[in-house]
Amino acid sequence: MNQKRKLHVRDIILLALIGILFGAIFIGTDFVYNALTAMLTPFGLAPMANDLMMGLWVMAGPLAGFMIRIPGTAFLGEFLASVGEMFFGGQWGAATLISGVVQGIATELGFTITRYRYYNWITLTITTITTTILTFGWDMLRNGYAKFDFQLLIILFVARLISTFIFGGVFVKIINGLLSRAHVLATR
Amino acid sequence: MTAISVSHLTFEYDDQLPTIEDATVNIPSSKFSLLVGPSGCGKSTLLKIIANLYPDFGGTISSGSVKIEPNQRVAMMFQDPSQQFTLDTPRHEIIFALENLRLDHDTIDQRIQDALNFCNIESLADRQFGTLSGGEKQKCALAVMIAMNSDIFLLDEPFASVDPQSRNQLIERLAVLKDQYNKTIVVTDHDLTGYEEVVDEMYRFDVIRHRIEHLSEDEKHKVLADHFSIHHVPVTLPSDQEHSVIELRNLQLTRGTTTLADIDSFNFYDQQITLITGQNGIGKSTLFSAIAKLFNYKGVITLNHTNIQKIRPAKYHQQIAMVFQEAASQFVDVTVNEELELSKKHRLSNYFSDQMINDALNSLGLSGFGERVVYSLSQGQQKKLQILLMLIISPSILLLDEPLTGLDEKSITGIFDILKKSCEAQHQTVIMISHQLTKLSQWVDHHVLFSNQTLTYQEVI
Amino acid sequence: MNPTIKLALILIASLEISFTYNLPANLLVILISVTYLFYHRIHGKTLAWLVIVPIIPAFGLFTTIYFFSSQHDLATASALFTRMYAYVFAGASFSLTTKPLDLAHSLEQNCHLPSKFAYGTLAAFNMLPKIKQTIVTIKSAAAMRGVNLSWWSPHLYFKAILVAINWSENLAMAMISHGFVEDQPRSAYELVQVKARDITWMVGLLIVLQVPIVWQIMN
Repeated sequence: MNQKRKLHVRDIILLALIGILFGAIFIGTDFVYNALTAMLTPFGLAPMANDLMMGLWVMAGPLAGFMIRIPGTAFLGEFLASVGEMFFGGQWGAATLISGVVQGIATELGFTITRYRYYNWITLTITTITTTILTFGWDMLRNGYAKFDFQLLIILFVARLISTFIFGGVFVKIINGLLSRAHVLATR
Repeated sequence: MTAISVSHLTFEYDDQLPTIEDATVNIPSSKFSLLVGPSGCGKSTLLKIIANLYPDFGGTISSGSVKIEPNQRVAMMFQDPSQQFTLDTPRHEIIFALENLRLDHDTIDQRIQDALNFCNIESLADRQFGTLSGGEKQKCALAVMIAMNSDIFLLDEPFASVDPQSRNQLIERLAVLKDQYNKTIVVTDHDLTGYEEVVDEMYRFDVIRHRIEHLSEDEKHKVLADHFSIHHVPVTLPSDQEHSVIELRNLQLTRGTTTLADIDSFNFYDQQITLITGQNGIGKSTLFSAIAKLFNYKGVITLNHTNIQKIRPAKYHQQIAMVFQEAASQFVDVTVNEELELSKKHRLSNYFSDQMINDALNSLGLSGFGERVVYSLSQGQQKKLQILLMLIISPSILLLDEPLTGLDEKSITGIFDILKKSCEAQHQTVIMISHQLTKLSQWVDHHVLFSNQTLTYQEVI
Repeated sequence: MNPTIKLALILIASLEISFTYNLPANLLVILISVTYLFYHRIHGKTLAWLVIVPIIPAFGLFTTIYFFSSQHDLATASALFTRMYAYVFAGASFSLTTKPLDLAHSLEQNCHLPSKFAYGTLAAFNMLPKIKQTIVTIKSAAAMRGVNLSWWSPHLYFKAILVAINWSENLAMAMISHGFVEDQPRSAYELVQVKARDITWMVGLLIVLQVPIVWQIMN
């Protein structure tokens, strides 16, 4: 694909639409999130629900980066999803934007490291790692992870890494495989 | 004067046969031109080429050219009323369009007023598009085109989801635009109702040769008149021996503020092929959605005397399956073979043997397409495959929404032959919606007319 | 208040409380946000929803710190608990009082955001009334073929993306046919201004927020 291609308005619409369509799919997971939190609370692992679900929230980014291979699309895919969520979705309002920016930068970084040349498992593994580390760092502050015991931190980090790898890696690879076999992105 | 001059145009989408081949047509300015032809014939593609959207948005012009009269602004109304606005209300949309043309505040105000006035939609100006009907949205789309002071109005199947009254109002407004403001109007449509008085020129797409022919005055009148002399074929009314399978009681369907249906009592009968007809935008598809539990309704719908609200969706959709109007929405996988395998895996009966499936593919002209990507098939091929996939599943009730879209005579015979045999062997019930009546009469047991918000069995088709 | 300034204020405040464990600062953010929401006549129901929804994650965080971490640090636990609510109320005081179109206009005019971002996003948001139904339709169409698609099925995302591709092309074509040209100047029907009053409020509120934070550092 042409890397010098410019980002057009239809790409922007597409990325925003993917964000809100995925958001609508995730509505079904609110229940899972709350149930997980409630189940894990007695074990002192309440925040783990957050880490286990993380892969879903960050899926739009790597997928966007794979679909439209222009620098910045991974960030934009993730960020526009958070803009949609700000106005129409969750209870977090504008605070969602900050998480959106952090997740967006984290994913984009993975593509930057592979210099927007490789779109394979290596790229997905790197985006998984950058996303896990950066979002985890942000949660150290935002969700007070910095105050947790070290042992708990390790558990949470591993949970997040696995979740991000499954949804932001395996799922993205499968979905992108379907898309490229269906040739629907050929004209872009 | 010629407004649009298409000469020897050949256009093709990627990896497909040309959609338009060596087409030459000159559309005069300040006239009302109507382009007719079956679905999937390339009408829509041609308009999008004229509007300069294609090939930017896909496909290639491999030869020929399209020329527009200089200094003429081209505007387009699209088939799906809900996917043509950027902003949330008609007023905002007009402002957006006029800001694009870099007009100032006062000019914009004036243009908004005039355009809303002309389309009689002042009361809609600040409503959310989501709350407007298809007809109201198309009036708003027309208002935007007028506010932009367009010269050439392209309308791509604009009435597909517009109620009959709005359709007449829109056609009347278009005639006024032509007569009093010298605008060029180009409409594509497959339904010829309401055009006799207003159409100046008529063009027909020849699907076999992918050409466009300009009809003479005589031919034009003949085609438009032919449309009215439908040959009525008698069909039977349901008899006492028939058992009801789906019952509608006090059913009310509303969209926004419009009541689409208000049905006291109506039954669909077991093991029959029932055809529902009715004008565009009247709510036929919505009725199907309600029966398929995809649309909220008031009243009661029962399946074999059980209220369908008491049946779990997953279980319900195994008994009653809809063949959606848009074929692609029913595909799950990627290639033809994968889709066939998927249907075989989940089928409810083994009626369709591998041999029968192969024969069916043969008679539908789909053999040898196994490795093709379903999304790259033509509209007609997608439709045939979709119906076959649903037949393989063998649910006891099938709802077919416009199953003939994009199909030629031979394909219709092919698909209905398979359908009829399957229904007889497996005692299935079929309910379908279609506007192509004459082609269907031989396959249908009962005919239901949807009009005045209710359903009535008819003695003729 | 100018949407961009309002957004900037809320983002700065949210970021700042993220870097501190300061109960009074959180309470201050909540207080100001709730006051602002009342000023905009927010419904009691909406307010109740804002209180209820974050309670599970907020309580979960509280218990993890207070009961399960080695220090049983009540101050940190309550700071984290209130911080969740500070995010929610600050966020809501923007998203519940600002229309997407007003933000787009402000970003376009005050921040010179390229119009393709502003209007491309708005065009996508315009499809929202159909989004939920679309997902239901995708699932049902598959269910009728015996395939159960749910949030852990890659095929559900695949089908959703196909819909998105289709819509994005139709919407982009409609935008272009309504005169939109990427990267070309547009006129502005209404000018969105940054008033001195907006800046004063922003700076004023940020200074107020520094009081508990500086106080904590001094002690």
